[in-house]
Amino acid sequence: MERYLEFAGVGKAFPGVQALDDISFRAQSGRVLALLGENGAGKSTLLKIMSGDLRADTGSVILNGETVSFTSPFDAIKAGISVIYQERQLIPAMNVMENIFLGDLPVKSGLIDAKKLKSDTKALLEKFGLSIDPEIPVMFLSTAHQQMVEIIKAYRRNSQVVAFDEPTAPLTDTEIEILFKLIGQLRDEGKIIIYVSHRMAEIFQVTDEIVILKDGKFVKTLNTSETDEQELVRSMVGRDIGDTYSHLSRNDSMGDVLLEVKNLASPYVRDVSFTLRRGEIIGFAGLVGSGRTEVMRALFGADPVLSGEIKLDGRSVSFKTPKDAIDSGIALCPEDRKEQGLVLWRSIEDNICMPVLSKLRKGLFLDTKACERVALSSIKRYDIKTPTVDKIVMELSGGNQQKVILGRWTSELMDTKILILDEPTKGIDVGTKAEIYQTVCDFAKLGIGVIFISSELTEVINVADRIIVMHEGHITGSVTREEATEESILALAMAQ
Amino acid sequence: MNVTRVTGINKIIRSKAFTLFALLIVLFVLFAIIAPFNNGARFITQRTIIGILQDIAVPAFLTIGAGCLMVSGAIDLSQARIGALSGMVVAVAIKNWQLPWFAAIAAALLISALIGLINAALVNELNFQPFIATMSMSSVVYAVMYLVATDKSGQLQGVINYKSPTVALIGNYEIGGVVPVSVVFLVVMFIIYGVVLSKTKFGKTLYLMGGNATAARLSGINSKKTSYFLFINCAALSGISGVLYSSRTQQGSLLALANDQFTGLTAAILGGISFGGGSGGMGGAFLGLVVIKTFNKGMTIVGANSYLTSVLSGSLLLAALSLDYVSQRRQRKRVGI
Ligand SMILES: Nc1ncnc2c1ncn2[C@@H]1O[C@H](COP(=O)(O)OP(=O)(O)OP(=O)(O)O)[C@@H](O)[C@H]1O
Ligand SMILES: [Mg+2]
Repeated sequence: MERYLEFAGVGKAFPGVQALDDISFRAQSGRVLALLGENGAGKSTLLKIMSGDLRADTGSVILNGETVSFTSPFDAIKAGISVIYQERQLIPAMNVMENIFLGDLPVKSGLIDAKKLKSDTKALLEKFGLSIDPEIPVMFLSTAHQQMVEIIKAYRRNSQVVAFDEPTAPLTDTEIEILFKLIGQLRDEGKIIIYVSHRMAEIFQVTDEIVILKDGKFVKTLNTSETDEQELVRSMVGRDIGDTYSHLSRNDSMGDVLLEVKNLASPYVRDVSFTLRRGEIIGFAGLVGSGRTEVMRALFGADPVLSGEIKLDGRSVSFKTPKDAIDSGIALCPEDRKEQGLVLWRSIEDNICMPVLSKLRKGLFLDTKACERVALSSIKRYDIKTPTVDKIVMELSGGNQQKVILGRWTSELMDTKILILDEPTKGIDVGTKAEIYQTVCDFAKLGIGVIFISSELTEVINVADRIIVMHEGHITGSVTREEATEESILALAMAQ
Repeated sequence: MNVTRVTGINKIIRSKAFTLFALLIVLFVLFAIIAPFNNGARFITQRTIIGILQDIAVPAFLTIGAGCLMVSGAIDLSQARIGALSGMVVAVAIKNWQLPWFAAIAAALLISALIGLINAALVNELNFQPFIATMSMSSVVYAVMYLVATDKSGQLQGVINYKSPTVALIGNYEIGGVVPVSVVFLVVMFIIYGVVLSKTKFGKTLYLMGGNATAARLSGINSKKTSYFLFINCAALSGISGVLYSSRTQQGSLLALANDQFTGLTAAILGGISFGGGSGGMGGAFLGLVVIKTFNKGMTIVGANSYLTSVLSGSLLLAALSLDYVSQRRQRKRVGI
């Protein structure tokens, strides 16, 4: 029997947007199919329909020739469809084996058969070459390992279809390799695999064919081996964007020293020293967990500073709270958008205006017109796809949520001297990425000092004037853009 | 793309206030129909309306305080006891300490606010959950009341009666012999707090804190200061409830406000201020309170016994909560989580 998953005329509308419009294509077993499209193109919506989280308005999903229709994620799981989202769907306090066998725990005379549970889990983990302790609660695992557990869970349920929605965003390069190996194994076993990502290199590395969506419509299917990045971008964005980095118009006149950090130590980092000039863009590279975020948090008054000195404009400063830092002209666009960035159930407008509310007053009251204006200008700048300014952020696509945070920290009312961007392009499509790099350079031209943290090496190397590399909570080196190569940065990041 | 706002009739119909208003009308119609069966009683009369407003006065201030706190994601379970203590202080101050009426009230409100300050400190400095902190505070306040109500001979006075015509006026004076002054006061307060919540920076801050405290802090919102203000505000308002109660009954009582222990909370939830914070508003909370008290009044007028009233008002709360749950679920479903 031929095994495949087919979308036949699938359509889905939300208030004000047609998220999916008559989508039809087929995913074959034993192949990895990439879903590619700009932010808000409808990729996640399609996966949510496939997994029973949302219901399609029109069309159907067909699995091996049979039309399936789910009313809940539970139905989809039973039918053999699993989706690995970015947010983990594990029970944090339960251990690895319980999570993997959740809903189907082996039982012996009415009690959970702990022995069998453990040995079965071990067998599964070994099969995929993972060294994870089956008895450790998953909340103590790294993000990568949690994701692996989720994949194993899907595998254990005998899923025929496994879909991934931007799985690599929180992973380090080595972890990504392990993930790809896992995906390869699943493919070789004849699973149907759907893979969503904005990282082009990955698409070419793991997928066999590519389906391109644009504004909720199906554009075309391409064989990965027969296409190139340019063609993909053209069909996805609708125009050529050229070479992102060589087209950047950079700032070439740096000013005097703006920020000086000397021997900074917080509970998470130690002995961190660097300087930032007006108009300079410093990149921070390093593995996930190397302490880049924590340096910024200490600088920003979000974590306590244990020792060391921070000088802003030559004056020694110490910020008790983020508010102090913001009042002194520091803006920090945080890495974790759901936990630290967004107020998900509030509007785009509220989210963008958050740090500048005091400038949006008219007498005793908030100036609603002005709020709307500020929000609209950010929406325009980053091309946030939304029908209204008061749409709740929860209802935006992942990439558009990221744009809202960027919009907040770079809004026209922010009086920023130092702009810290922590993984600003996470989940953002290629076209918009290029625009964000240009925006960053434009800020530098205005004399703002920019700190740019990213785990995508190419990005830091090409955008920043100077790259500082961290490893386990301290700085291991600093190189200029001209000298930097991926190898040299990686070596510093691993402290070799 | 044309980016706009949702406005007009759609927004009104989807709002919580609209649902509550509809519910209120249903209650009125129902009671109007049933009341005559109880010896020809009538429900829709001026007396009933004024009566309902009278009943609202005391818990109104609990509702405002609880509502503000809950929007920001916190809660205060010591409200009723703070109110009772406040009333007790008024009684003791006038009767035993021989203080003039305004000094007695000032003392009561000051002590209430002080307890709010301690609540705030427990939550913000010692990082207790608001639930735990205020529940413990509730017991402590009860103990303090014992102390206040114990006379020199060591005799506990569960109820302390006093006489102060001036204080009595606060709770009982009726403008033009019809509209109680306390009702005017509560309506004004609801409007002020409503405007603050919906139209000012401070109000916006509460919603953002309630929606995501971490994000709010990282965006430069001074959550700690705000939290202190809210706990003190809530306690002081509870104190006002206590003063009002004491003024009407001309006594301080260990059990004052006991019936309204959860009224403020319930009204706020009914009105769309969800437990987690970040949503709802004063208009809804006010209507929620009106619905609760209308219901209770109606049950008395139709002559239902108190057990039945109790059961039904419990059911009303459950119904309200499940409505809330259903609408939240529908919202989540729309988002696909
Ligand atoms: N629950 C919802 N309510 C209203 N609109 C929604 C909802 N979910 C998604 N949308 C809209 O549907 C469109 C498609 O969203 P979707 O999340 O599928 O995009 P995506 O392709 O996954 O984008 P990204 O690359 O940014 O993750 C967007 O315009 C989004 O705003
Ligand atoms: Mg998505």
